Amino acid sequence: MATILRVNMSDLTVRREEADEAYRGLGGRGMTSAVVAAEVPPHCHPLSAANKLVLAPGSLTGTGAPCSGRLSAGAKSPLTWTIKEANSGGMAAIDLAICGIQAIVVEGRPATGKWYRLRVSASEAVLEPADALAGLGNYDTVARQIEQFGDKVSCLSIGPAGEMRACSASIAVTDVELRPTRHCGRGGLGAVMGAKGLKVIVVDPAGGQRPRPVDMAGFRQGVQRFNEALLGHPLTGEGLPKYGTNSLANVINAVGGFPTRNFSEGQFEDVEAISGERQHDVILERGGQIAHACHRGCTIRCSRIYMDEHGEYLTKGPEYETVWAHGANCGIHDLDAIARMDRMDDDLGLDTIETGATIAVAMEAGIIPFGDAAGALRLLDEVRRGTPLGRLIASGAEVLGRAYGMERIPTVKGQSMPAYDPRAIQGMGVTYATSTMGADHTAGYAVTANVLSVGGKVDPLRPEGQVELSRNLQIATTAIDTTGLCLFVAFAVLDNPAALEGICEMLSGYHGRRIAAEDFLALGTQTLALERGFNKAVGYTAAHDRLPDFFRTEKLSPHNVTFAVPDEELDQVFAGIG
Amino acid sequence: MSKLRVYAYAELRQYIGGRASLDVELADGGTVADLLAQLGIPAERTKIVFVNSRAAELDRVLADGERVDLFSAIGGG
Repeated sequence: MATILRVNMSDLTVRREEADEAYRGLGGRGMTSAVVAAEVPPHCHPLSAANKLVLAPGSLTGTGAPCSGRLSAGAKSPLTWTIKEANSGGMAAIDLAICGIQAIVVEGRPATGKWYRLRVSASEAVLEPADALAGLGNYDTVARQIEQFGDKVSCLSIGPAGEMRACSASIAVTDVELRPTRHCGRGGLGAVMGAKGLKVIVVDPAGGQRPRPVDMAGFRQGVQRFNEALLGHPLTGEGLPKYGTNSLANVINAVGGFPTRNFSEGQFEDVEAISGERQHDVILERGGQIAHACHRGCTIRCSRIYMDEHGEYLTKGPEYETVWAHGANCGIHDLDAIARMDRMDDDLGLDTIETGATIAVAMEAGIIPFGDAAGALRLLDEVRRGTPLGRLIASGAEVLGRAYGMERIPTVKGQSMPAYDPRAIQGMGVTYATSTMGADHTAGYAVTANVLSVGGKVDPLRPEGQVELSRNLQIATTAIDTTGLCLFVAFAVLDNPAALEGICEMLSGYHGRRIAAEDFLALGTQTLALERGFNKAVGYTAAHDRLPDFFRTEKLSPHNVTFAVPDEELDQVFAGIG
Repeated sequence: MSKLRVYAYAELRQYIGGRASLDVELADGGTVADLLAQLGIPAERTKIVFVNSRAAELDRVLADGERVDLFSAIGGG
């Protein structure tokens, strides 16, 4: 039976408890949002003792289900002040599942200035002083843990940004090679971990065992069906392994939705220099690796390992969102400089999307010019040094934009938009406006039908059909986020009914009771209803489910379009849900 | 003849000699399907087509001076 670890940072105790009825069987985002909605006072300050940081593997994580290694982190967000779930690849979720842990719930807050490490295995969970780690980046923090505990563990850690309780701070998760390259990035959950005085969690799976499906034969049948669907789809079986997520750069640019120089244009003239195709060639020329899996059991392998000019390891990926945020959005076309920024973000523990968006606003504000890669790296160094400007950079686009009197600030509920302009890809505008998370592409990835011809086709430049598209995607995504499955499986799910059948068979086999497609999707609607309820209690209303004005007033080149989905239609996205 | 600027990406780049783009002359009234056949790009591998940054089908007739973008299966996020 899976247990919940209650980690009380006020009295520095750790308690194991059986999941009560309300939490039994929940995983991933289903678990984190259930705990936050039930246990966190909506009006609390996100950095206060009353907030709780919840870390939960998905319901299928560790079972051997393909691509099921996502870890969900949840809390009230210091960036958006909404409920928040940010999930990450890497190995920690699998190791936690092997330790028999359904969730870690970090509560309370210690005396200020003290840092702690949580060590978790199948048989013990202890808090230890970790003041010696204070100030270290994620790479050095992890290196110290490997020295002490060997290379069979996994780590969750915060860098200096989390220690500063910065609103863009992430929680780093180590990958298969024990590098802190995978992040619960969005919404400043690293600041919540920092506020709780928790520098690092070390998970040792030795002595644990994989969660065992009740109906192993049924489960295995689902695994086979699901695997075939993933490998047979041209995107999950071929495109993503070979070119990675950054293959999107050219297609989003070609369709005119590639936000350039702080969302002022829809195409970047130097896109080829930062494209996935170019990145693919650079990686192979330097002895890096394409088709890299960020966790064991991933068959898609969209990750890559990026070497510097001397053939030395520099960073993973970088991913599409990062290349866009630090690249086109800042007018920067130097792939190596972008990779260095990715490395610094990972080490400092910063969300790459929020950080790139913030630097772009800083460029428009005149702090440094657009295209200044060296200047952007200097701004990240300001974060490392904790200077006043560095703290502004780490506070996100909304805070920096307000501090400099800017109007073009591309945020919803305080969170910056990722790499799709909602004027040229209007379905994404619906998701940005209405997501329970603030502007978040993963919440309902309408790029599928708007641009990629996956799951049907909906004209990206017109408002018709976008609300229904976003609603259905938000429900399905939330359901997937409860399982620990990587969202990229959705490409296969949207095109091939066998993929969803496989997921339902795996869930049915694991739980030992039949779970049909409608039961699976109900996990999505139930979780969204909890999240909406929490946000309403915080004070969010329909008036907050809107894009910034400039998306309705400034036309975007090359299509010269504005966001055209009417407010009253946005208000229908969650009709009947909450 | 219609003069076109054709861009190919990812898996489709191999069919235009590994380059990012090339200029093509297509018979008047030619469609996207005709263009693919002329370039030797398999239609079944061509998942996304844009003409002048708008989605287009294989039967779209191409006009002089237009830009065509051709993609194999692309995704991420």
